[in-house]
Formats: sequence, structure tokens, C-alpha cells
Amino acid sequence: MAVRAQYEGSNDVGVFATLTNSYCLTALGASENFHSVFESEVGEVIPVVHCSIAGTSIIGRLTAGNRHGLIVPNSTTDQELQHIRNALPDAVKVVRVEERLSALGNVIACNDYVALVHPDLDRETEEIIMDTLNVEVFRQTIADNVLVGSYCALSNRGGLIHPGTSVTDQDELSSLLQIPLVAGTVNRGSDVIGAGMVVNDWVAVCGMDTTSTELAVIDQIFGFQEQQQSFLPAEFL
Amino acid sequence: MSGKAYNFKSITVVPKASDFVDIVLSKTQRKTPTVVHKGYAISRIRNFYVRKVKFTAQSFHDKLDTIITEFPKLDDVHPFYADLMNVLYDKDHYKIALGQINSAKHMIDNLAKDYVRLLKYGDSLYRCKQLKRAALGRMATLMRKHKSSLEYLEQVRQHLSRLPSIDPNTRTLLVTGFPNVGKSSFVNKVTRADVEVQPYAFTTKSLFVGHTDYQYLRWQVIDTPGILDHPLEQRNTIEMQAITALAHLRACVLYVMDLSQQCGFTVEQQFSLFENIKPLFAKKPLAIIVNKADTMKIEDAPAEVQERLKAYEAEGISVLSMSTLTEEGVAQVKNAACDKLMTYRIESKTRNPAMQASLNKLNVTLPRPRDNKARPAFIPEGALNKRMGRVPTKGRTQREQKKQRNEERKELLAQMPKRKLARDLQEELREEYSVDLRKEWDLEDASWRYDEIPEILDGKNVADFVDPDIDEKLRQLEEEEASRKAAGEYDSESEDEDTKAVRARALLLRERRNMFRVASQRKSKRNAPVLPIKIRRRLAEAEERRLARLNRPKHATDDDDGDSDYDEDTRGRSMDADEDASRAASRSRSRTPLRAKSKKTVKGVAPEAAARRKKPVSLRAAGGVQSSTLKKASKKMQRLGFRKINYMGRQGEADRHIHVKMPKFLYTGKRGVGKADYR
Repeated sequence: MAVRAQYEGSNDVGVFATLTNSYCLTALGASENFHSVFESEVGEVIPVVHCSIAGTSIIGRLTAGNRHGLIVPNSTTDQELQHIRNALPDAVKVVRVEERLSALGNVIACNDYVALVHPDLDRETEEIIMDTLNVEVFRQTIADNVLVGSYCALSNRGGLIHPGTSVTDQDELSSLLQIPLVAGTVNRGSDVIGAGMVVNDWVAVCGMDTTSTELAVIDQIFGFQEQQQSFLPAEFL
Repeated sequence: MSGKAYNFKSITVVPKASDFVDIVLSKTQRKTPTVVHKGYAISRIRNFYVRKVKFTAQSFHDKLDTIITEFPKLDDVHPFYADLMNVLYDKDHYKIALGQINSAKHMIDNLAKDYVRLLKYGDSLYRCKQLKRAALGRMATLMRKHKSSLEYLEQVRQHLSRLPSIDPNTRTLLVTGFPNVGKSSFVNKVTRADVEVQPYAFTTKSLFVGHTDYQYLRWQVIDTPGILDHPLEQRNTIEMQAITALAHLRACVLYVMDLSQQCGFTVEQQFSLFENIKPLFAKKPLAIIVNKADTMKIEDAPAEVQERLKAYEAEGISVLSMSTLTEEGVAQVKNAACDKLMTYRIESKTRNPAMQASLNKLNVTLPRPRDNKARPAFIPEGALNKRMGRVPTKGRTQREQKKQRNEERKELLAQMPKRKLARDLQEELREEYSVDLRKEWDLEDASWRYDEIPEILDGKNVADFVDPDIDEKLRQLEEEEASRKAAGEYDSESEDEDTKAVRARALLLRERRNMFRVASQRKSKRNAPVLPIKIRRRLAEAEERRLARLNRPKHATDDDDGDSDYDEDTRGRSMDADEDASRAASRSRSRTPLRAKSKKTVKGVAPEAAARRKKPVSLRAAGGVQSSTLKKASKKMQRLGFRKINYMGRQGEADRHIHVKMPKFLYTGKRGVGKADYR
């Protein structure tokens, strides 16, 4: 299921939300429309939580997380951290890291098993990621971009990456992540996939500008499509 | 390049040489003035004829220019068209004709320039007219000389406009073979072209083009004249057209054969032609089409023919049979040929580096397993149920399944309480709505949600002291403390007499030190204005002078050095008795003002003088000037300073000024309509 949404007129839903298989964070805003999109899509199954990071609403770019945990930057205030800790299930580990590259959502791309990180990320942070998110960590670039979190969207079933990625890079990333990958765009040709959409194993939320062709590709690569209509072999569905 | 680039139908007509001259001259007659008189000024007459000459030359120039630009340049067009035009019109002839037109254009330009120059020396109407006549006459003669090239170009134009509009870059099927094997019949069957079909050789004498549809795409089918099996030099124009098409078009070539030999050529000849023109098929998709299957099928052909065909098939050349008479196999041939060309075109396109860049977007990468770890998707039960109802479905069974699933889902939903979204709440409450963050908290006990939690307690950030193990640690500490107490670690009997004495002394010392500190703090002139040394010195000198003027023996301020400042004075180096007394007094007042000292020093002066001196002199308020005389003097100086500015005062732009009170032009002469005032 891929749906379209907008945060106060902005199509960059990935900037204002973090979606994982066990929780969802949305930015605080004047209107609840954006929050309620997530509420109605996944609210029955996982907690959908309002929050801010360092007083800003760009939580999607500042945090990184998966089913097992959530990593927030050092700029997160104590109260915000407390709120997130209180709201998320106890099984989710919430960790605040001291990292120079504080836009963690931009420098970390992960699903529940593997994380790709910025090549310059601190070694300590890398260890924290391993422990908190229970993932294997690989230092990688996507289409020669170091901001791996900005240029891809991953779930446990598939991944959409920057349209400029070469086929060999794509092969390499795919065998690291162990999921099918396709190069594509969101929001009518935008290559910042991570900012344009959020995805977990059963739902994806894209910007309002996303074309139906882009949505179809998203539906298929993330396995939201029934098997006979999908371009993926059966074992990946 | 699209087909439009090769549309030669829009070339303008090239008139015959005599027509050409007529057109231009009549245009000159129509578009230039016609009346001139002897009596006119000579410059006017000259201009009249110069204009005629120039206009005629320009008209010739323009018309010749259109011919040169509109005819296709052999170097610019697609090589297929360049070759075809070479075959049809002879490249050299064509280039010479255009070159002649170009040189004629330049000659006419030069001619006009010469005659215009001559006209400037024309001294009468008659001479000017003769010069003009000569100029136009020579231009006309020049054009008549190029009569033949103009005629040739007109013929070329007519032929070009009737050429089939073949797009050399699009998907093309090219039908070729011996004359009379059924090429045109195939084209007629496959496309809507109406090519003449007759039972004699060389019915088709030029290229024909038809269009057909396959896979929603437009395909161009080109019918070529039949070609005979002889060397290239002996080929005629008709055959050469087919060769040109074969050589230059990136098409799927269909070599049509006739095994029944009804065309009048043996199978052997047909194979040998195929071998001879094979270089033209290099790197192109190729198919051998065996036509006239109604009379002889491949199976019925002699064994050696069959074998040869098999050998070709092994080379990758597809061999297909059809009958244009019964239409058997025609569609298959078309489809096979189109498919072959399509794959070939796609392959060559993907080899293109520009295409390579976007190829990755069509590529779904599937992972190669790197370990045996399973990485399953994680979809909670509730999500799965929700998703079931939404998947798009096709077909009856799926619809039924969906219905069933929907019902199940409805039951599930009925069990779940209806959710009220934050948006609904916001719409309900309008401006009273505010986000309740604590509602989202997932705590052990829901009643804890709204407990007050201080952020700052006793000036300390509570969060800094949060420790998940705080209870445990507290318990441990308490235990430790209790054990210490039990061991008697805090009993105070351990102190002996010595230490007690030391402590008492230390306490005394501390007290005294404190006292001293407070006293010195009081004494210091904190925050008092400090006069600069210069002024203090000057004040002291003034004081001295005044004392001298008063003619009194000075005893109070008998300083060792004149530089000493007031504080030192007050604290006193003098040995006077009452000075000592005042010193004692001054100790209690930390600051001794200036006037106190002066009063003291002028003891015994007349009371009014003392009173006057008692008046507080705040140097700051007076701007640092001590006496009123000085003040007066400074005021005077100030005024003098300003006076200079006023002397220099000049009239400026900013000043209001009326230049002339009553301008003469406003107050003299008659008034038109009885108005005495303009303004």
C-alpha cells in the first residue's frame, strides 16, 4: 500500500516523519492531517507519536531507526527524549548519540537487518548503531553521494535508490542489503528518495507530487503488489 | 532527425531564364517610382535611376538566393539521400548547376555596384537612363546565359518533390530480390501502398514506400526495384536506387526468392545474387523469404536447395516462406521481420553510452545470497488483516475471495473500537484543540500519564539525575551508611586537647582577618569619580595661589612637594595640632571632600568668604572649569568661534530665493483672451 501525503504543503514526507515496523514518529505541526494519515494507515498496529527533535520538525532527517531501536542526535532535549521514551514500546531502545554528523536520518539508511552509513561516521556511533538497531553496518555511498539516508528508502522486502546509481553499484548494494533494489524517483522525478517517502514492510507514504508510475514502481519493489502483477520473483514477495 | 527533414516538396518553383527576367523586371517596374522629368535636380534624377538598378539587382539576388538555400546540399543530407540524388541526378551536374547560380548571384551584385558608381557621374536624365538600361540589360543577359542550369534545377525539383518520403532513421523493412519475385505484391499485402504489379521484369522502376502497424508502432516498408546479378559498374539507374537503399538504410532486409523459378531466373542465380550483395547486408537483420509457396514449398524443392537454405539458417539468417497469392505466411513474415529489427534496434541503442546512463532505471537488482541468515519481513498481524482488504484484484475468483476477505475484515473491524483520528478531534474542537502529547505515552500504568514531572528542581536539570538504577543504588548506599554507623565511624571522641586549642585559635584568626577585610573595604573609594592627575595638580596650584593672595602665613598645606594629591594631604604630612585632630575625624569618614580641606586651611578668614568657599564646586557640572571668570572667558571664546562660521555663511541651494521678482516676459505685451495673469 503506497499512499500520498503532504506535510503543510511540503511533499518531503520523509523529512517530517520516521516510519518503522514497530513505531512511527511524525512532526508536530499546525494541522493534524499529516499525523492522521499515519494514524489511519498504521495507527491500529503501531504507535504513531508526535515529536520534535531539538525543537525542529525535521525529525525524519535527524533520527534513524528500525524495529529494534531509535537513534536521536545530541541536540535532542531531555524533555523530547523523555517523551519519545515514554511513547515508544519498551522493546524499542532509544539512544542519544554524540555525533558530528547530526542529521542521522541523512547519514544512516537501514532496515531491520542491515544499515548503510556515511563513510565518515564516527566509529563509536557505528557501534551504537549495531547495538541499538541490531544491524550489520556497511559504510557505503549511493551514486557517489555520501548521504546514504537521503538517497534511498529501504524496507525488509525491497529498496528504492537514487536514479543515478550504476548497475554495478546497484548489484553491490543489493547483495549487501539482501533485498531487491530498483533505481527510481519520487515526487515527480525527485532523486532524494529518502526525503520524498517513508516506508516499512507493509505501507509506504510518498509525497503528494508522486506520479502514478512512480507509485506503481514503489508498490512493486516494496512488495505491496499481488504476486501475479509483480515483476519480482515469488521468493521476494 | 524526423521525416520532416527530408521532405523536398516545399522547394519553390525555379522559373525558366526568360520568365525569370520578366518576373524581376516587371517587379522593378511595379515597385519603383516611374515618373521623372528633365527639369528635376540632377541629384534627384540620379537617385531615381540608382534606385532602379539597385532594386533590380536585389530582386535577382533574393530569387537566386532562395534557389541556393532551398535545394538540399548533398553534404548535409543523409547519405542515403545524397547517394540517391547522385544516382538520379548526377552529383557533379547538380553541384555545378547550383555553383553557377551562386556565381550569377555574385556577378549581378558586382554589376549593380559598378553601374551605381557610374550613375553618380551621369550629368543628364538621358545619360542616367542609358546607364540604367545598360545595367538591367546586362543582368538579363547574364540570366539568359544560365538558362540550361535553371532548366535542370527545375527538373530536379519536380523529381525531388515526387520522391517517396523515406525516413532513413525510423524502423524500416527493405524488400529486395530479383525482378518479378513478388516484392511489390508483398508490400501491397502488408501496407496500404498501391505498387503496380505486372508479370514482367522491372515493373517497379523506383523506390516505393508503404507503412504498416506492428505492436502499436509505425513501420516503413520500402519496395525496391529488382536487381540483376551483375557487377556494380554495369548496373542501371533503376537497380542503383535499390543498391543505395540497401547500402544506407539501417533496415531489416527481406531477400525475396522464388523457388518455382516463374520469375525467369534460376534458383542458382538467385543464390549467387544473394552472395554477391551480401556485403550490403552486413550487420543488418536479414531474412530470406521464399515466395510463391502456393506453387513450390521449401519441402518440395530439390535437396541441395534445401540444404543451402538450412546452411543460411544456421548462420542466423531466418528463412521463411509465404505466398502473396494465398496470403499464407505473409503476416508471419511481417511479424518475424519486425521482431528481428526491433531486437536489433534495441540492442544497438543499449550499446549507446547515452542510453547506458538511463538503463539502470529499468533494472531490478535481485540480491545474491551472501550468508544463510534469514531476513524475513516483519508485518504485524493487524497490518496483514488491514492490507488484505485493499489489494487490487482481477477476475471472478479473486473478487469472491476479496468479498470473503472483506467480510472477515469487517468482523475484525467490528471487534476493534472505532478509531478517532487526531484530525477528527481537531475538526471537532477547532481553535480549542491542542496536541495532547502525553496521551501517546505508553506507560506501565496509564494513570501515571498526567503526573507532574518537574523539569528543573532546585536549579538542577532533573534529566541529568535520572538513573534507571537509582532505587538500587540508594538502597546500597543506605546499607553502607548503616554499616558504617554500626562500626562507630562517626563518634566524635577522637579529638584531643591540642587540636581543640588549634581550632579555637584558628577561629580567632579568621574573625580578625574578616574584620580587617571589612575595614579596608570601607576605606577604599570605590565608585567615586577620580579626577585626572593634571587637574588635581592644577587645583592644588590654584589653591596655593589663592592662599598667597590672601596674604596669610600658610601653615596648613606646607607640602614637601607640590605634586602631592588631596588624599595624601588630608592624611597629612604636616605636623599641625588641629590637623591631627581633623585626621582623627577623617579616618571615620572614608572620603574627605575637597571643600573640607579648604575650610580647614583657611581658618580665621572672614565668615562670608568662608561661606562662599563652602559652596560645593562640582567640576564635572562646570565642564571642568574652576572659576566663573574662566567660565566667562570660555563662553566668550566659544561665541568668537561661532562668529567665524556666520562670517563664512553663504547663499546655498537650500535657501529660499526668488531670482527675479517680476520677470519681464510675464508683465509685458498684450494679453490674449483678457487674462492678466498667466499663473
